[in-house]
Amino acid sequence: MKKLFRLHNKRLSAFGSILLVASFVMVACSTATATPAPVPTSAPTVVQPTSAPTTAPAATTAPTAAPTTAPTVAATTAATAAATAAATAAATQGTTGSMSGELRVAMQAPVQTDPALISSDTEVMIANAVYDYLVDVDAKSQIQPRLATKWDISANGLVYTFTLASGVTFQDGSAFSSADVVWTFNRLRDATQKYPTADLYKNVANVAAAGDGQVVFTLTKPNPFFLFDLSDNHALILKANTADPKQFNGTGPFKVTNYSPEDRIELAANAKYFIAGEPKLAKLTIIFFKDENASVDALRGGQVDLVPRLSAGSFAALKTESGVTTVNVPTNGFSLVRLRADHKPGSDPRVMQAMRLATDRVAILNLVQQNLGATGRDSPIGPLYPTYYSEDTPLPTRDITQAKKLLSDAGYASGLKLDLYTPDTIGQPDLAAALKSEWADAGITLNIIVEPESVYYGKNGWLDVDLGITGWGSRPYPQFYLDTMLKTGAVWNEAHWSDPEFDKLATEAGTTQDEATRVADYKQIEKIMIERGPVIIPYFFPQLAAIKTSFQGFELKAFAGRTDFRTVSAGQ
Amino acid sequence: MSLSLSDSPVPNTGGGLVPPPVLAGASPWRTLRATLAQLYRQPASALGTTIFILFVAIALVGPWLAPYSENQQIAADARQAPSAKHWFGVDRLGRDVYSRVLLGARDILGLAGLGTLLAVLAGTTVGLLSGYRGGWFDEIVMRSFDSLLAMPALLLALLLLGTVGPSRETILIVIVVVYTPIVARVVRSVVLGVKQKGFVEAARLQGEGQARILFREILPSVLPALAVEAALRFSYAIFLVASLGFLGVGVQPPSPDWGLMVNEARGYVAQTPWAMYYPAAAISIIVVGVNLMADGLKRVLQVPAP
Repeated sequence: MKKLFRLHNKRLSAFGSILLVASFVMVACSTATATPAPVPTSAPTVVQPTSAPTTAPAATTAPTAAPTTAPTVAATTAATAAATAAATAAATQGTTGSMSGELRVAMQAPVQTDPALISSDTEVMIANAVYDYLVDVDAKSQIQPRLATKWDISANGLVYTFTLASGVTFQDGSAFSSADVVWTFNRLRDATQKYPTADLYKNVANVAAAGDGQVVFTLTKPNPFFLFDLSDNHALILKANTADPKQFNGTGPFKVTNYSPEDRIELAANAKYFIAGEPKLAKLTIIFFKDENASVDALRGGQVDLVPRLSAGSFAALKTESGVTTVNVPTNGFSLVRLRADHKPGSDPRVMQAMRLATDRVAILNLVQQNLGATGRDSPIGPLYPTYYSEDTPLPTRDITQAKKLLSDAGYASGLKLDLYTPDTIGQPDLAAALKSEWADAGITLNIIVEPESVYYGKNGWLDVDLGITGWGSRPYPQFYLDTMLKTGAVWNEAHWSDPEFDKLATEAGTTQDEATRVADYKQIEKIMIERGPVIIPYFFPQLAAIKTSFQGFELKAFAGRTDFRTVSAGQ
Repeated sequence: MSLSLSDSPVPNTGGGLVPPPVLAGASPWRTLRATLAQLYRQPASALGTTIFILFVAIALVGPWLAPYSENQQIAADARQAPSAKHWFGVDRLGRDVYSRVLLGARDILGLAGLGTLLAVLAGTTVGLLSGYRGGWFDEIVMRSFDSLLAMPALLLALLLLGTVGPSRETILIVIVVVYTPIVARVVRSVVLGVKQKGFVEAARLQGEGQARILFREILPSVLPALAVEAALRFSYAIFLVASLGFLGVGVQPPSPDWGLMVNEARGYVAQTPWAMYYPAAAISIIVVGVNLMADGLKRVLQVPAP
C-alpha cells in the first residue's frame, strides 16, 4: 500500500514536471507566433464618430456638435430641441434588410438578467442590446435621445416632459406606450422592492403618462443631472406588468435567440427596430470566458472578434498584432488610497499630507498603468470633465524630507506602520506594491493584505479598514462621487471624512441651476482635496479593448457594458 | 565503507528492519558524509542532491548575491527583457527578476523546511506512540488522521487559510496540519513491525520506561524511513507553499514568493514572460531535485518496501 502511494507520488511529480515544461513550451510558442511583423494598426478608424441616425440629431444643434464638448448641463438641456429630426434622419438613412455579419464578443459570464438587478459589464451589455433606455449617454458623455425623442424641462427644474418615439414594438409584438415607461420607473423606485435604484430615484415625486405619447416626471427638488440619472444602467424600459423580467422582452436592437448560461448568449438583429438602418449587424454573440488570457487567445485564434475589457499588459501585447485594432478610451475611473480620518493616525491631516508628498504619481502611472491613462490630482473631478476639471491649485511635488518632517510633527518621528488593504482587482495589488516601496522612503512601513474583490467589497470590509485601496468606476458626471464618497455621512464615505466647507460646496454644486456657480464650487473643491482631502488618486485608468480590424463603427464607452452595438458593422 | 553491523545498538534479529549500514553507530557527521558519498554514486540522485545543496546555498547567501533589493523599483528599466544588467529581465513594476528569484529562495525553503521539520517531529511522536501503544489511543488518532487524509492537501490548506486568513504563521500551521498525519502513518507502520521484535520485548521485560523504549529502542529503526519521508514531504511542502502563493492565499505581495510571482506575472505573460518563467522554473527544479534526492536516499538507506 505504501509502495503504491509512493509510486503514485513519484509518477505524479514526474507528470507534473513534464506538464510544467510542456506548458512553458506552449506559452513560449504562442507568444512567439503571436507577435509577427509589427504592422501599425489604424486606431482612428474605430474611434471616429459614427454616422448613425441617433447621433445625427445631436449634430444639428450647435452646442453639442463639437466632439470635445464637455458633458455640461447646459449642453444637455440644449438637446431638448434635438430629436424632432430623429425620425426624418432615420428615414433618409434607413434601408432595412441590410443587416449582415456576426460580431462575437468575449466577456465574463453574467449572473443577473433582470434589468433592475444587473451590475457587471456583461449583464449591462446584454440588457443594453435587448432593451432601450429612455435617454442614452454617448461615448462623449452627451445625453442622446432613444425611446424619448425630445424633452422639455420646466423653468424651476422640477418637471420633465418626455415625448416618446412612435411605432415602437416589443419583441413579443405588443406596442410600446407611455404606460410601459411609468410602470418601469415605478418599479425601479419602489422602496419596498429594495432595488439598487430606489435611492437614486428618491427625489422623483411622481411619474405619469400624459396625452399624445408623453411621460411627465415631477421632482421634489431640482437635480441638474436628472437626465443622466434617467440613463442609469438599470433604467431599461420593460413591458408594463411584466411578470418575469428575465424573459428578454425588450424594444431593443437585438433579440435573444439562445442563452446557454455559463457558455454564451446569441442574439439576432431585431428586424422591426424603430430606428431604421439599425442595427447593422445580423448577429451578436457574447461568449463567456473566465479569464482574460483565454479571451485574448481566443481573439488571436479567431474564435472571437472583440474583447471589450483588457488589462494594460494584454493591451500592450495586442498593440503590435496585425488584424487587430486596439482601442484606448480615457475614463473617469480611478483607483484611490484613503486613510480613515475619524481616528489616529488619519485624524491628523499632516499624516495624509506626508503620504501625498511621498507618492510619485508619474512613476506609478508608468509602473502600474504602463503610462496608459492620466495622473490624478486627488480629486474625483478628472480631466474627462473639461468644464469642471482645473489645475489651478498646484499639486505638491514629491518631497521626502518634508514628508518626514510632517510625520515627525504629527508624532511619528520613528516611522509609521500600517496595514494596507487592497482588492485583488487587476492593477490594484501592483499599486499597493508601488506605494509600499515609495512610502518606505518617508518611513511609512506598509503590510499589504490582498483580498478577493468579492470578499473585500462584499462584506463592506472596505468601509471599515484603516488604510485601503478602492477602485471607482467611471460616471458621466462628477457629482456622484462627491455625494456618495466624500460628503459627511455619505453611504460610501470610506475615509469617514467630514469637512463642513466641502459639504456646503458639494451641496450647492449638486442643486444649483447655474452652471457658473457649479464650476466655481468644483474648483474650490479641487483645492480642498489637494490641501486636506482624505484620498490620494494617483491615476485615472483608461478603458482598453481590442477588435478585429474588419469591423467598423465600434465606439467603446468608459463603462464597457454600455458600448453600443447598434452602429457596429461587419465590413468587408 | 567498512561499518560493522555489530556496532549497532539494535540486535540484528534477521529479516525485517535493519538499520542501514551508513546509519549504524557512526557519528552524525560521518553518517552524513557516508550518505552523501552514496548519493553521488548514481547520476540521478547526484543531480538531485546537487540541486538541493545549490538551492539551500542560494537561500543562505542570496541576499549577498542579489544585485538589487526585492522591492526596488527601477522605473526606467520596467518590462525590459533579460540582459547583462538584468539577467532574468525586469517585471512590470520595474523589479529585477533575478534578484527576486534569489531572495525568494529563503522564503519558500525556510517556510517549507520549518513546516516539514515540525510536521516530522509531531508525526514521529504521534506515530511512535500510536503504533506502540495500540488500542483505543491508536484507533482514535488514526481514524481522525484518516479523516484529514481523506481531504486533498490543497483543499485542506485552502480551508484553513480561508478561515484564519493568510500569514506566514498560518502557512506554517497548514503545512504541519497537512503533513503530520502522513508522517505519523509511515512511522506507525514501521513501529508495528518493530515492536514485535525480541529486543523490544527484552527492553520491556527489563522494566525500561515507555519513553526510553520508544526513543532509544524503536526510533533508530524508524529513522531511515523517516529520512526518506521527510525529504519527500519537503518537496511537497515547497510545492504546497508555491501553490498557495499562486492561488493568492499564501504569502502576500510584494513578497518575492515564487508561486506569487508566477501568479502576478500571469496577467502579463505576453509582455513580460520572463517574470513568469524564471520563478516557475525555480519551483519545478527544486521540487524535481528534492524528489530525486529522496529516491536516492531510499536506495542508500535501504528502506524496504512494506
